[in-house]
Amino acid sequence: MARRTSNDPQAIANVLRLIPAKWLVGMLVALVLYFFLQPKLNAWFGWNLPSIAAMAGNETPAKPASPKPASPKPAQPKSAQQKSAQQTSAQAELASTKATEPRTTEPKAASTKPSGEPTKSPATAKAQDQDDWKYRILKPLGRDRYESPAGLIYAPGSEEGHRLSHIARHLEDQPDRPGSHGVFDGDMAAFLVAIDDAYKRARGHAKGTKSRLEDGMTVYEAPFDQTVGYLGGTEGARKKNPKLKKLRLVLRDRNLITAFPIQ
Amino acid sequence: MAKPFLIYVKQCPVCGDGLCRVRVCHDLQRGRLTGCILCDECETVWTDPTLKQKFLRGKVEGTPCCPDCGQSLWEPNSHWADIPEVCLLGWYDSVQIVRKENRDQIV
Ligand SMILES: [Zn+2]
Ligand SMILES: [Zn+2]
Repeated sequence: MARRTSNDPQAIANVLRLIPAKWLVGMLVALVLYFFLQPKLNAWFGWNLPSIAAMAGNETPAKPASPKPASPKPAQPKSAQQKSAQQTSAQAELASTKATEPRTTEPKAASTKPSGEPTKSPATAKAQDQDDWKYRILKPLGRDRYESPAGLIYAPGSEEGHRLSHIARHLEDQPDRPGSHGVFDGDMAAFLVAIDDAYKRARGHAKGTKSRLEDGMTVYEAPFDQTVGYLGGTEGARKKNPKLKKLRLVLRDRNLITAFPIQ
Repeated sequence: MAKPFLIYVKQCPVCGDGLCRVRVCHDLQRGRLTGCILCDECETVWTDPTLKQKFLRGKVEGTPCCPDCGQSLWEPNSHWADIPEVCLLGWYDSVQIVRKENRDQIV
């Protein structure tokens, strides 16, 4: 071993003596050029050219690469091969980014909702929206019964199956319905708030309110400062849908049977 | 399914917005048809189109009930009367009939 190492530089020197000076200069220039270009070529084209240190035996390149970048013939197929390899890895990276996108955004979106709540489809989200106003204003009492802040009860009943569904008929006009049909000008949440307001004032015999008993039912009327709806139905159409500023409520005990704007 | 006609006596004297309509209850046990007038808004029940007598005591609390059997008028054995049923009850001259052309909102 020791003998061999001491002999190697001598052997190189002997070989160098045999090579013409022109060739030596050319080889040196190529080496210097390679020294500077190797890392840049690797970075630009994604190649894996070995460094001079690696070629000297200190580092091992991951892939066999041409030590002669100047030579186009072996470089071409390699670059094409590596380019396609690079593309595949880029696509995989893109795919992995795509795959992680919902994963990262979903928890973010879900973080605003109560934990454990599944992501909703548009249909269920709509159903949730419909329930939102219900729970924002009404307190669930169980068995599909709800209580308003003023103490009115909205329970199952009526032809529609629930009092809330029944009063929802007064959120839209029925222009062909015979007679008058009071239409509330607003959404269900606003309607529930207005009904509560009318109930509190009428029960407290506030100015302008009326109440009468009708065989177990109570009929309340309460005026509002502003328009709460308009007159619909055939009668409303005939009168050009006049604006209404009063609400009439029909109750059985605290159970709301119906409510609508009146003249 | 919506019926092609809306049959009613008049606008409700109790609530003012409802229509007093003919409701029939088909008592399957006794095999007979009973007619009454029901407001589709406040659910007041009258025994006939004169609207002189209300029916107040049913068997189901909080719901309008048939004056004959006392069962809920919202149960499947009850429905809004059609013209032949109104004729059968002898109330044809007491009602108004509106054709429901494009009147899907009127059930
Ligand atoms: Zn009525
Ligand atoms: Zn019956």
